[in-house]
Amino acid sequence: MAEVTAPAKPAGAARTSKAHPLWNTFFRRLGFGVITLFCVSILVFAATQVLPGNAASAVLQNTATPQRLHALELQMHLNRPAVEQYWTWLTGLLTGNPGTSLVSGASVSSLVGGRVVNTAVLVLLAGVIGTLIGVALGMLAAARRDSWLDHVLSVTALAVTALPEFVVAMALVIFFAAVIWHLFPAVSVFPPGVAPWSDPTLLVLPVATLVIVIVPYTFRMMRAAMIDALESDYVEMATLKGLSRRRVLFFHALPNAIAPTIQVIGLNFLYLAGGVVVVEYVFNYPGLGQGLVNAVSDRDIPVIQFIVILLAAFYVVVNIATDMVSLAASPRRRLPRS
Amino acid sequence: MDLSRREFVKTAVAGSLAAGTAGLLSGCGISAAPAASSAAVASGPPRRGGTLRAAITGGSTADTLDPLDAITNADFSRVDNLYEPLVGLTPDAQAMLVLADEVTPNATATEWTVRLKSGITFHNGKDLTADDVIYTFQTILNPKAPAAAAAGLSSIDAKGITKLDSLTLRIPCTTPFASLYEALAIPGYSDVIPVGFNPAAPVGTGAFKLQSFTPGTQSTFVRYGGYWQTGLPYLDEVVITDYSDATSQVNALLAGQADVVNLLSADVIAVVQSQGKKVLISDGGGWNPFTMRVDSAPFNDVRVRQAMRLVIDRPQMMEILFGGTGTLGNDVFGIWAPEYDHALPQRHQDIDQAKSLLKAAGHEGLTVQLVTSDIGQGTIQAAEVLAQQASAAGMNVNVSNVTVNDFYGPGYLKWVFAQDYWYYNFYLPQVSLATLPTAPFNETHFDNPAYIKLYHEAIATVDDAKRQELCFEMQRIDYNEGGLIIPFFPPVIDGYGANVHGLVPSKGGLSLNAYDFKRLWLS
Repeated sequence: MAEVTAPAKPAGAARTSKAHPLWNTFFRRLGFGVITLFCVSILVFAATQVLPGNAASAVLQNTATPQRLHALELQMHLNRPAVEQYWTWLTGLLTGNPGTSLVSGASVSSLVGGRVVNTAVLVLLAGVIGTLIGVALGMLAAARRDSWLDHVLSVTALAVTALPEFVVAMALVIFFAAVIWHLFPAVSVFPPGVAPWSDPTLLVLPVATLVIVIVPYTFRMMRAAMIDALESDYVEMATLKGLSRRRVLFFHALPNAIAPTIQVIGLNFLYLAGGVVVVEYVFNYPGLGQGLVNAVSDRDIPVIQFIVILLAAFYVVVNIATDMVSLAASPRRRLPRS
Repeated sequence: MDLSRREFVKTAVAGSLAAGTAGLLSGCGISAAPAASSAAVASGPPRRGGTLRAAITGGSTADTLDPLDAITNADFSRVDNLYEPLVGLTPDAQAMLVLADEVTPNATATEWTVRLKSGITFHNGKDLTADDVIYTFQTILNPKAPAAAAAGLSSIDAKGITKLDSLTLRIPCTTPFASLYEALAIPGYSDVIPVGFNPAAPVGTGAFKLQSFTPGTQSTFVRYGGYWQTGLPYLDEVVITDYSDATSQVNALLAGQADVVNLLSADVIAVVQSQGKKVLISDGGGWNPFTMRVDSAPFNDVRVRQAMRLVIDRPQMMEILFGGTGTLGNDVFGIWAPEYDHALPQRHQDIDQAKSLLKAAGHEGLTVQLVTSDIGQGTIQAAEVLAQQASAAGMNVNVSNVTVNDFYGPGYLKWVFAQDYWYYNFYLPQVSLATLPTAPFNETHFDNPAYIKLYHEAIATVDDAKRQELCFEMQRIDYNEGGLIIPFFPPVIDGYGANVHGLVPSKGGLSLNAYDFKRLWLS
């Protein structure tokens, strides 16, 4: 049976050639990514300049007498020209120093560092769990196509797609934390400097919310791709040869169905980086999204800039990774163009 | 700490794997919420010990531990436990001595003598002396970086303050300042900091000292063993967590993750109570006025101002905003101050009179823009209700909802018709902040010669009864000609667990015993 699944020789031969086309694509993408990040940084800085008010007036609110405003603006160096402020920020960032927060005076990296870890934990956990569940359910529904299980899963997935994440989050809180059953914490509050996994129960509801939101997309894509694969000639061939159902599903259909699904998984991760803002807000989870919301309302430009650059970098990296993985998963597109 | 991306990805991945498995293993059956304590009765002597977990809204990365810069509820929740004022507020919103043993004026109110209680120490063990108080006032009134209280204490001649002995000082004023005692009672106006105060390692004389502080996130305070009021505080530790969303704040209370929460909206009272938690409703003296600029059309005509005051159905507005809680307003501020005139007739909705006033002013079918923002409890809703009610008199009020930063941006103090929020204050100190041409926050651009003359007379009058008489006269001008509409004084609604004791309603307008946790205890 090895002859069906093992195209070992050609791949080995390709690896000996000088530069694999995958690498060319990778470096080209990386170059564009860096340019994108640079453009994003200019756009974000311009946007912060257009926002009404500045950090000083945001901090002082209704105690902003002209004297107090002036004193604070001097202290925050807000009186420098915008271009100069941008240049200081950019050169600082390139030398590994993203500057200091306008409103708290602490270094941006110390303010954002812990939040990056907290958000990354949330995104990775939700992404991995959501992907596994989505792929498994998609396969299951495709394998039992038109059964009652398939119908229930498909309709449920469709219904869940229509729910915004804060509705899902509130429903989970009402059912499992605050009102009906007191099983899990309703908010994910942990002291600064403490890792979020030190009390895993704090992660249950935020991760569950994000998982529920992303599973339907993976599920539907996986189901459709799997059905396509199951209807193909090679699966029919494999079945006619008398291979077991399990072997056909996992070794013949799955590898072909996974390639289109990878794109959706990538999109899910990108969604998570943004969707996490709402979830962090509802659960008072000290992550990047909450940090960004705070920074915008404080007009804390260095913090806004750094968080946005981090999120943009995440987008670029996930996009490149998704493309690379799906190229690697579809041998036909991997070959040099003739 | 500088963060390299590689490092962060590494820790994140390792962490998520660990958390993933642990999460799966413990995912079922673990109950994080402590079992709801049996309905505790508030009887018996206070119990020592325990950690109070407070969930507080209003904070951000701009959180500060400097009492002179405190602005938000989150700031006050911290500084009111770290520091103490010379003069503070009773639960009934009257001035009372705290660190001071005596605060007395001379006959012309141009010089005040302050004597401190003895035997009070800062968290670093240093004794509280007159030098610290002098340092505090000079810091507040530093012309290069004036503190929030500077505007209200500007009559104090900070450089001229003299020390009489280690506990006594004399405060000269550049102009008579008969209301100094009351002014010092306003939160943040007389919190004493030690000489050479360092906000990064803050010490005060309060019942709790700082353990840790992360702006916008969480801070921890522990019992100060050397506190001068013997037996206090009862708690060992206070953990204050910032919440950006009121819903998650309530969820934390319901799930037993927070013991006290501040500033709830009236519509969650029923939910909170149905889950076995308690609600504390205070008739706060803070106020969220509508502000009409008396120097700009159409409000430069007093008839238009009075018409706008008359179109409001105040009880209905309070019912919609606060479910009927709160205190009815009469367009005069300082409701709990001793010099507030309760004899002024309560203003009620009178559409006919409003219409005829508008007609006489030549402004029938008036169209105005009302600038609102989410700056205080119910401000946006109040604006919408006003617009609705004003239509009954043929007025067309267009509500323009701007962001908080917009509101306090360049347009602040210039809007023709807008809103604002104020904490509770006594009458004369409030006048000096808001309704004199020299006031730093004169939103209505009020500039009334008779009123100004009365103010200068009152501020130089040491006799309480005579000063009250003058204040009454000023309030008649506020009531008949002023540019402020004060339809209500919003309630202060807090939530707490059944295991929390020692909370009493406080009329000063700040939540949870004005965030003074030293008398709270847990059962």
